[in-house]
Amino acid sequence: MEMDYRVLNRRRHVGLQQLSSFAQTGRSFLGPVKATKFITDAECHESVLVGSTVRLLEGLDLTCAVGHLLNEAVQAQNVTYKTGASTLLFLVGAWSRAVEDCLHLGVPTTVIVSVMSEGLNSCIEAVVSLQVPIHNVFDHIDNTSTVYKLETVDVSLCPFLQVPSGSGLLEEKHDFKDATSQLLSTYSLSGRRAKSPEFFKPQAKVETENTSQALKNNLYTDSFCRKSALTHSRHFNRTENSHWISRPDGFLEHLRSTPKVLRCNDLGELAVGLSHGDHSSMTLAKAAVRLQWQAVCLQPANCMAPFMFDISRLLTCCLPGLPETFSCVCLGYVTSVTMPSITLIKELQDQPFRVILIEGDLTESYRHLGFNKSVNIRTKSDSGQLSEDSTEELWTNRVLEVLIQFNVNLILVQGSVSEHLTEKCMHSKRLVIGSVNGRVLQAFAEATRAVPVAYVTQVNEDCVGNGVSVTFWTGPHDINRSNREILLTAEGINLITAVLTSPASAQMEMKEDRFWSCVNRLCHALKEEKVFLGGGAVEFLCLSHLQILAEQSLNKGNHACLGWLPDSSSWMASSLSVYRPTVLKCLAGGWHEFLSAIMCNTATYPSAVEASTFIQHHVQSAADSGSPSSYILSEYSELSSGLFHSDISNNLELVPRVYDTVTPKIEAWRRALDLVLLVLQTDSEIITGLVHTQMNSQELDGVLFL
Amino acid sequence: MSRLEAKKPSLCKTEPLTSERVRSTLSVLKGIIASCYGPSGRLKQLHNGLGGCVCTTSQSSALLRNLSVTHPILKVLTSSVQNHVCCFSDCGLFTAILCCNLIENIQRIGLTPTTAIKLNKYLLGLSISYLKSEACSCRIPVDFRSTHTFLNLVHSILTSKPACMLTRKEIDHIGALILKAFLLTIPESAEERMVLGKSIIVPLKGQQVTDSTVLPGLLIEASEVQLRRLLPTQKSSTLRVALFCASLSGDFSNAGEGTLVVHYQVSLENAVLEQLLNLGRQLVSDHVDLVLCQKVIHPSLKQFLSEHQIIAIDRVGVTLMEPLSKVTGATPIGSLYPIVSTTYGSVKDVRSARFGSKYFFHLLPNEATICSLLLCSRNDTAWEELKLTCQTAMHVLQLTIKEPWVLLGGGCVETHLAAYIRHKVHNEAEAIVRDDGCSQAELHIATEAFCSALESAAVSLEHDGGEILIDMKYGHFWSCPADSASVGNWPDTLSRCGCGLYNSQEELSWSVLRSTYHPFAPQTCLPQAASGSVSNLTVDSFTAKLSGLQVAVETANLILDLSYVIEDKN
Repeated sequence: MEMDYRVLNRRRHVGLQQLSSFAQTGRSFLGPVKATKFITDAECHESVLVGSTVRLLEGLDLTCAVGHLLNEAVQAQNVTYKTGASTLLFLVGAWSRAVEDCLHLGVPTTVIVSVMSEGLNSCIEAVVSLQVPIHNVFDHIDNTSTVYKLETVDVSLCPFLQVPSGSGLLEEKHDFKDATSQLLSTYSLSGRRAKSPEFFKPQAKVETENTSQALKNNLYTDSFCRKSALTHSRHFNRTENSHWISRPDGFLEHLRSTPKVLRCNDLGELAVGLSHGDHSSMTLAKAAVRLQWQAVCLQPANCMAPFMFDISRLLTCCLPGLPETFSCVCLGYVTSVTMPSITLIKELQDQPFRVILIEGDLTESYRHLGFNKSVNIRTKSDSGQLSEDSTEELWTNRVLEVLIQFNVNLILVQGSVSEHLTEKCMHSKRLVIGSVNGRVLQAFAEATRAVPVAYVTQVNEDCVGNGVSVTFWTGPHDINRSNREILLTAEGINLITAVLTSPASAQMEMKEDRFWSCVNRLCHALKEEKVFLGGGAVEFLCLSHLQILAEQSLNKGNHACLGWLPDSSSWMASSLSVYRPTVLKCLAGGWHEFLSAIMCNTATYPSAVEASTFIQHHVQSAADSGSPSSYILSEYSELSSGLFHSDISNNLELVPRVYDTVTPKIEAWRRALDLVLLVLQTDSEIITGLVHTQMNSQELDGVLFL
Repeated sequence: MSRLEAKKPSLCKTEPLTSERVRSTLSVLKGIIASCYGPSGRLKQLHNGLGGCVCTTSQSSALLRNLSVTHPILKVLTSSVQNHVCCFSDCGLFTAILCCNLIENIQRIGLTPTTAIKLNKYLLGLSISYLKSEACSCRIPVDFRSTHTFLNLVHSILTSKPACMLTRKEIDHIGALILKAFLLTIPESAEERMVLGKSIIVPLKGQQVTDSTVLPGLLIEASEVQLRRLLPTQKSSTLRVALFCASLSGDFSNAGEGTLVVHYQVSLENAVLEQLLNLGRQLVSDHVDLVLCQKVIHPSLKQFLSEHQIIAIDRVGVTLMEPLSKVTGATPIGSLYPIVSTTYGSVKDVRSARFGSKYFFHLLPNEATICSLLLCSRNDTAWEELKLTCQTAMHVLQLTIKEPWVLLGGGCVETHLAAYIRHKVHNEAEAIVRDDGCSQAELHIATEAFCSALESAAVSLEHDGGEILIDMKYGHFWSCPADSASVGNWPDTLSRCGCGLYNSQEELSWSVLRSTYHPFAPQTCLPQAASGSVSNLTVDSFTAKLSGLQVAVETANLILDLSYVIEDKN
């Protein structure tokens, strides 16, 4: 792991230097091509593979105050949005260097704080022009959904799944090409351009079932079918409101003359744009969204309400040791069970299960939260002291009685389960599954009308749910193997399990993180109904915007910048105009570094200098054009290919759009700048509870005692 | 084996203030506090050096709470400032800075403590009576018909806490919320004794500040599962509420000492549960609709209650009990024995609400002065600071009801007051000396010490090396960059005074504050426009500032008066 240790100079701002050196560690996680790192413990020689900023910071020892604040900021971003942590970390570094530069130039702290935060606000207002609205992405989903009549969605249909994540440049390009061809085949008339037989099959199916599906939908409601039946043809639908047209030979042509109204109304396009280089995870995420849409909206009762993707009804089940192609999403709950249960399930497979849901542990000693057990109470029987075994036996019998009385043969338990009881249940052909997530219980409660209870003794007829089916999870390839995974599902259940597989168990955590990051990106985009035009376009606009602002304030002097109120202090008002251009340039420098780091990471440009020249050239042209945002829109293909994959751009029009989430991105910027400015404004560190003797003389340098 | 250790003799130090160590620690403390002062104040990172949480702050309350001082003189100083902050929330840093300045100045001039204390008291009296008089031109009456002054007050407090990391837009948003929360705590009908309600700050970290909101009534945090089970209430009238502070978890933790042996066919747990269910039956027959419990409700009892369409909310927590009792009018029930029906209260409605990632029960009161301020901030550090700031602002707003004035802020009151005192003493020295029995020279020295202590408190607002000026008409505070301090271009570089009331375009003359200026009478009547037209005035709480001034002078007097420190070394 490369790490840049700057010498912390005491005469300069130590906190900012610490920030920038911490942030250097996350540099390689920026952009679509991410390099993984090993964190090794020098003492016990254990190592962890990390592939994301959050995991990296978890593995680092950030005990100093600034490190603590950095960790807090990254964690807060991660908890709230599950994405944007790398952007945050990198910008923290870039901006703390920028602020240091300002300090070297003699800009007063107060001015830096004021101009930088106003500059960022102004950028945030400017990038609104690059927002792409998302419209009715689910309108086009229902014809493809016929493919997924089976409960298991086969993602291996998509040819680019097998590319391992984190691969190098070559595969990355291949990925993009495939993504493009995927788009192509989606937009062209079905079948004609389909490359693989796998792809052909579902397409054909769509054609045959199109009409009937449309009719069926009409029976439910006309909410999906307000347009003519032809809207279900992707081909005609696309031409209707986008600037792609299809030539007779099946190739697409980009119409430069059409007005550039940006919009996104295809889930597939959105997902590819938001995948940020991780197509396999995004394909799964997309499939999960589609499956939930199907589960929720195709229910006759629900179809009137607008569909909102509910991320809390998505679970992951990690199966290390299987090839990556086994990854898939399934409707229902996939979990591993013990060997003895498998024989039982084989016997019971075809019959519907009656289920109860237990919120706590299923053990004799379990008591609900907040129940304080008395220590000084002992139970005695007629023949003396009652042993623990016999109390357990008594309890087990009582539980079994209840189970028999209500004819329950499936028990889902949130906590742990008594082994003795599991055995007994096995004998009487009842399946007990422990450590079930609370969300799973909730989903089954809704689907089966079971009421979760804390104790078995609470069970009455109203608490028992009906109609759960238990089958073996076979995976998308239907291979006979001694698997231990089962799939639990019920009619109308709104619960999706994403089964993630990886041959290397060290990679498992990373794969899971990436999947969640994709799901969250998609979820945010759908929730906000807008995305940013990504691939560096937003950062690029900020750069040009700041350049223009800096020039304006240079030319017009004091109160030039509209919308910036003169500060009430006269000192500030006069200093601001002097230093504003300098500070704005330093702020822009952060985004400049960001873009060139992405370009270096994707290896589009071998050196930072070349990347920098490319950026500088386009920033200047954008600023000269008068309207940076329309410059970016018109030059988007060239820009994004320049940023990511300049060599394949023979056909510039076919570069797929890259998208970014809106709020998480802006919040990452804000958090990064807030942290830097917070550290900048801090002039001393007060350590409480220290004793003179605890510090050696070297550390005492510059320390004052009270 | 017992050992007897001889007691160490107590340590007695004379004239503690003359010791070099005390002076240096006092100046370190002053440095820490003065560097925090004002909107551009520097922040302090407070932590224990062992990886505990880091508090970044510039507020006196957070700073002094975490600061462990050892010397008794410093303890006197910090504890009196803390007491002031406890009672008035605001102006803690001002108090501490002024106190340190006074001690330093008095020591430098070498007056005897008795004389200095006497003259300080006199000068304090002079200041207070001026600030309270009608003639005072730093005092603006609060106009209750408009939100103007209130918003100015709240904005001034918010901008003076840079660790909250708020942008202008966010300051406007939070300022409006604080004012709204304050208004919601004022009872609709004022009887002879008005009792203000309470606004409860509910944390919601990780969200944007602009997601914050104010709701009437109470928010009780709950899990998603709990809320999904909340059915829409059928009743249109108010809901009957039973509020329990006793645990309904069905345990028997108070079994006493010794061991209890129980026959295996007897189940104590079932016996307690049976009692709980009896209680449940009584609640049903009393037509209670909502059961609130501070602690845990047994799952079986919950099941029983929900079967009878009674909403049960448990684990409410002790902090919400008092507001809950106030909102519902219910008396908290402490035992399982039959309940008297008078203990029940009522609410208008219970709803579920979701904000960010959190779920809440929202209790809507019939008529009460309780509201919830749902406060969002991006991270823990900024949230803690913002919470303290909001509490300060709400407290300060409440103080304006008692004394409906605000003082000009931004350093203007200090410089103006110093100018007033200088002028007054200059003109009426003879009369003052006659009453007080000290020499004129002593009076002039002490006045200079007092006034320059006030002025350096104002100067502490400047942290970036700017120059501070005072105008010769109003005696207000003006700042300009150090390098542009040439007299000619002052009208251009100085746009507004510290509080924002006057601008530089009206034929003013200035003097550098550090230099001695000839005493002049600052204009004493407030322009009529002040209370209305200027929208961005920086103002301070009248009550808090006045008390801060008093506490600072009195504490300084106390410290100056100390002649021995006796330490028990055992």
